[in-house]
Amino acid sequence: MLVKDCMTRHPIIVPATMPVVKAQQIMADNKIRHLPVAGDGKRLLGLVTRQRLSLKTDTLGSLNLWDITRHLSNMTVKNVMLPSTKVQTITPERTIERAARIMADHKIGCLPVMENGGVVTGIITEIDLLNAFQEMLGLPVEGVRVTVRMPNRPGEFSKLMTALGDQNWGVMGIGTYPSPKADGFYDAVLKIRLVAAARVEDILNQIPDQEVIDIRNVA
Amino acid sequence: MVDNKASPVLQVKDLAVAYKIRGGEIEAVQDASFVIKRGEAYGIVGESGCGKSTVAWAVLNFLGANGYVKRGQIKFLGQELTQKSKSELRLLRGDQIAMVYQDPMQALNPSMRLGDQMKEVLTIHRGISDAEAEKRCAKMLERVYMPDPVNVMKRYPHQISGGQQQRVVIGMALLNNPALLIMDEPTTALDVTVEAAVLDLIAELRHEYDTAIMYITHNLGVVARVATRVGVMYAGEMVEQGTVEEIFKNPRHPYTQGLMRCVPKLGANKSESILYPIPGRVPPPGNRPAGCMFAPRCDYADNRCQEEHPALRALDNVNVRCHLAEEIDWRQWTPTEDVIAPPAVIAQAAADQPILEAKSLKTYYPVKGSSLKDVLGLGEKRFVKAVEDATFQIKRGKTLGVVGESGCGKSTLVKTIIGLEDSTGGDVKFLGFDITGNLSTRDEQVIKELQMVFQNPDSTMNPTYTVGQQIARPIRRFKTVPNDQVRAEVVNLLETMRLGANYFDRLPRQLSGGEKQRVGIARALASRPDLILCDEPVSALDVSVQAAVLNLLLEIQQKYDTTLVFIAHDLSVVRFFSDEIAVMYLGQIMEIGPAEAIYAPPYHPYTEALLSAVPVPDPTAKQKHIRLQGNVPSAINPPAGCRFHTRCPRRNLLPNGGKICQTEIPPWREPDDEHKIFCHLPTDTLTTFEPVISKEGNG
Amino acid sequence: MEAMQSGLKLAAPPSRLRRMWKNISIIFDSRVGTIGMIMVLFWIVTALVSLFWTPYPPNATDFIQNTPPNIQNLLGTDQLGRDILSRLMQGTQVILLKTRLPWGKAILPGGVAIWGVLGSVTLGAVLGLNAGYRGGWTDQIIMQFLDALIAFPVIVLYLVVIAALGQGDLVVIVAITITGAPGVARLVRSLTLDIKTRDYIRAAETRAETIWYIMFKEILPNARGPLLVDSMLRVGYAIFAIGTLGFLGIGLPPPDPDWGNMVNEARRSIFANPLAVVWPSLAIASLVIGLNLFADGLREELSRYQK
Ligand SMILES: Nc1ncnc2c1ncn2[C@@H]1O[C@H](COP(=O)(O)OP(=O)(O)O)[C@@H](O)[C@H]1O
Ligand code: SF4
Ligand code: SF4
Ligand SMILES: [Mg+2]
Repeated sequence: MLVKDCMTRHPIIVPATMPVVKAQQIMADNKIRHLPVAGDGKRLLGLVTRQRLSLKTDTLGSLNLWDITRHLSNMTVKNVMLPSTKVQTITPERTIERAARIMADHKIGCLPVMENGGVVTGIITEIDLLNAFQEMLGLPVEGVRVTVRMPNRPGEFSKLMTALGDQNWGVMGIGTYPSPKADGFYDAVLKIRLVAAARVEDILNQIPDQEVIDIRNVA
Repeated sequence: MVDNKASPVLQVKDLAVAYKIRGGEIEAVQDASFVIKRGEAYGIVGESGCGKSTVAWAVLNFLGANGYVKRGQIKFLGQELTQKSKSELRLLRGDQIAMVYQDPMQALNPSMRLGDQMKEVLTIHRGISDAEAEKRCAKMLERVYMPDPVNVMKRYPHQISGGQQQRVVIGMALLNNPALLIMDEPTTALDVTVEAAVLDLIAELRHEYDTAIMYITHNLGVVARVATRVGVMYAGEMVEQGTVEEIFKNPRHPYTQGLMRCVPKLGANKSESILYPIPGRVPPPGNRPAGCMFAPRCDYADNRCQEEHPALRALDNVNVRCHLAEEIDWRQWTPTEDVIAPPAVIAQAAADQPILEAKSLKTYYPVKGSSLKDVLGLGEKRFVKAVEDATFQIKRGKTLGVVGESGCGKSTLVKTIIGLEDSTGGDVKFLGFDITGNLSTRDEQVIKELQMVFQNPDSTMNPTYTVGQQIARPIRRFKTVPNDQVRAEVVNLLETMRLGANYFDRLPRQLSGGEKQRVGIARALASRPDLILCDEPVSALDVSVQAAVLNLLLEIQQKYDTTLVFIAHDLSVVRFFSDEIAVMYLGQIMEIGPAEAIYAPPYHPYTEALLSAVPVPDPTAKQKHIRLQGNVPSAINPPAGCRFHTRCPRRNLLPNGGKICQTEIPPWREPDDEHKIFCHLPTDTLTTFEPVISKEGNG
Repeated sequence: MEAMQSGLKLAAPPSRLRRMWKNISIIFDSRVGTIGMIMVLFWIVTALVSLFWTPYPPNATDFIQNTPPNIQNLLGTDQLGRDILSRLMQGTQVILLKTRLPWGKAILPGGVAIWGVLGSVTLGAVLGLNAGYRGGWTDQIIMQFLDALIAFPVIVLYLVVIAALGQGDLVVIVAITITGAPGVARLVRSLTLDIKTRDYIRAAETRAETIWYIMFKEILPNARGPLLVDSMLRVGYAIFAIGTLGFLGIGLPPPDPDWGNMVNEARRSIFANPLAVVWPSLAIASLVIGLNLFADGLREELSRYQK
């Protein structure tokens, strides 16, 4: 899956001149946490997040109530946004694991998606990645979710595939990862449709060197 | 799956738009609410004057000096538009919202090269370099199926056809990858083939770019093809909305039902089905009824409808604004007495002699060259071969339909028959008289037997004279009745056209489009002609009016045994209306035969392509996807052999990839007695073509 | 439904008079147009009054020469001791109300400016219609001819006509006609080119109507709006032209006063009595400007109403 497949196109963007109060309201109304700031031609100028909009007590401490109000109403998005030079971005043709990597590394919740050197075409957020994750493992479909552990060596995965292929089972989702707490092994999670759990367990356990370590019916 | 892709791009709520006019204001839109999500195409349908365009303009705040949003909200991507300043809106319009109008010239600068206009979009706001912009514009033009984009970009708007202009406008609208694309009747003026390409493009945009599309049209077929959800507007209000499947399967509002009954069903013809126009017309904004807006035209209206204004409410899967929506079953509907009783079309015993017979009729227009040789008359004479070798005949009391893309020679054919143009060759006999020459060579007797009905209601009548004067003119000119009976005769004709005698003294500007068209027909009838040539007589009319005019034409045909030649670009209307059909391409008749034979296999490859482009007012219908590549070639230098060979998708069925089509003129295949196809493909192959349109289930 | 339809029918077409008034009243929507109309009306009324009454006989040299305005002579007197107000009033007649024919004392109702413009409109319309509707060679020839005519400076054209025909009201009319016709012809031709594409013209052609019927009954009436505005402006030009010719001393023949001639004569004693030059100049200017404003207003409103 590439970024372009799971990003949200045509994100809500705001101009730099928008009062902060208004931006806050847009976020609240639309239940979103990130707002790319863009100028003419949808060129990225910066990014505002909920945190950036929340008041910083140190700047306000010295002010009285009257001043606070004035300060707030005068403040525009431009004053609080993270400028585009510091915003992490991505392009539509990159992979989502790359996006996940960038987001995890920088501990950030979203990446504006850029095209043509600076034009905002979309946004990808942790929610989008979580959605993609669910889809990869076939979440919305009812079926048997099974985890198979296999030794980390060439040929093991194809054994599993052959077994599945022989049965003509519909695999709705699949994921593999190094087994936690078991060096030298890989776990594969599969979602299989329209079949009984017992039968899956039976068949998969017949594969030499491989073992079903978890099996359940899920929706 | 929680999906913020489904979050709305445009949310219109309780919108009311008013125009200030002399001595007050009118509320053109009173209550419209709808939501368009990412990747969704929302169709808005309704007769003209219902406020569809006003809604579109309101979103962009293009209401002109005298219009303003009176109530309600317009939210674009979560932001309220009605409170935005002019400059903020301008930015949005440039970057995130684009609009395409019916008339492409509204969006093009006539004095600027197309390429420069397109590039401006990219270079001015985005600081993209000229060369890069050029490249991207060319790519965009390719995406809108513009042949030879690089060349087109060097031209001025008037140097390309209307269909191409519209494609440039659409391309320009897409350059910025807008979140919302508003299209107001964008394909109404285009040929079906181009329209089909544009509609394909819209579908692609939805899927690929998640663009939200607001699509305004009065063509139910187009809605069925393009839209995911539909809102039906009537007199400034949304009266019904739901998914396109639901609305077409089970229309709940009597107005929606009425619209459906106005258009010919797929493959319907006049002898087995009837069109029911909606009586009356849309009330103007200043003069709307107190209760249900539709009550004056509604068959179900009761006392409550007259008094109480219905609210839009949810019913099953749709929203509908009708008090009686639960009780009304549209399948049980029967026409009321006051509806124009549609004529029973009796299949007449094969009429005697053909009234019009053309053999190898040719009409060429000389082309004026500009080189010195041409000016001196020494250059080689060149011609636009507008009609080439047309052979056909029409029997008395029958209708010949003529279809084909614009520029294929339909109008020239008609003009030659009526004598506005000289024929260049061939033989035409009308009632035994030779009519190869133009009007000045014809006998008065022949002239009065041939009359014409025109397309554009706004120019069919002379604005200076009253209805009565204009209908009376041919009567006096041809002395159809003694002078003292002229008035009575005019009134008689008006009544035939279901216009009262009180129309006699009206001026054209006091009439609606449909009424003007009816007067045009009355004027054509006035000399009691044997043959009436109708050049797109209903194309500019709303479906409801169109149905009424078609019924009237059928009625007079029955009454006076008039023979008709009927041109229209709407293939289902032609199918409905005609007994015989000729399909023309580039001046040549490609296929001719009884209507039902044309619409079923065996097809000529061109007919097949045309049919697969027709928008069918049934979202469940399956249609073959055939799109012709490239443009109609120039008629000055038509392709040799079969004129269709440059675009024919079926040529490769012939040995050698259809080489023969490039060199040899095809033979006439005759799968049936009356049915003739001009193609190298043998009848056996033609017969194997599958039907283009099939209903789901049995297709 | 019945109720609604009959409701529509009740709004019967208004009477002819009402309709005419409605057509005229659109001019009041334009302030410029209203002002122009008032100025023009002022001069028309003046002309009508002068037919029956002027303060003094306009040609009587009864007063002291070159007096400034006073109670007796509201606008003063000229170099021959004539009352300027009376002469100004009388001067409207040849422009707007009467044309003196060369045969005895015969008089044609309608002023020189009016006839001149009527002449150019008629000639221009005939040429323009033929050029526009027939097209081809006819168009080429007519337009070449008119272009040649336009190439001459207007004054030279006047001089040529007057040199050929001698002085007289009719000659001035002819001069105005000839100089005005090319402009009218161009206008009518361009209108015709547009109107002839309309379907109602096709309808007339398919009835095999004569070309003259089509040009004059089908096309011309639909050109009347712009033509009316144009004529209004032309009356202004004509008045100006008459003034110019009068100033050169080759305009309308005496004895009737002529504004241009009045300027010319007063010019000689301009230092003694500058106002004698000012009054007729003002008269010419106000009438011409009034006509222009009126025409502007009319154009504006017509274009608004004819969509
Ligand atoms: N600028 C305007 N001033 C006054 N009335 C207008 C204006 N534009 C449209 N209208 C009126 O508003 C109503 C709705 O028009 P419109 O939105 O064009 O409908 P549609 O697009 O459905 O044909 C019509 O009665 C029309 O005459
Ligand atoms: S409310 Fe009454 S008048 Fe209106 S559409 Fe429904 S039935 Fe007809
Ligand atoms: S003759 Fe050849 S090119 Fe022409 S329609 Fe038939 S197959 Fe196509
Ligand atoms: Mg519209």
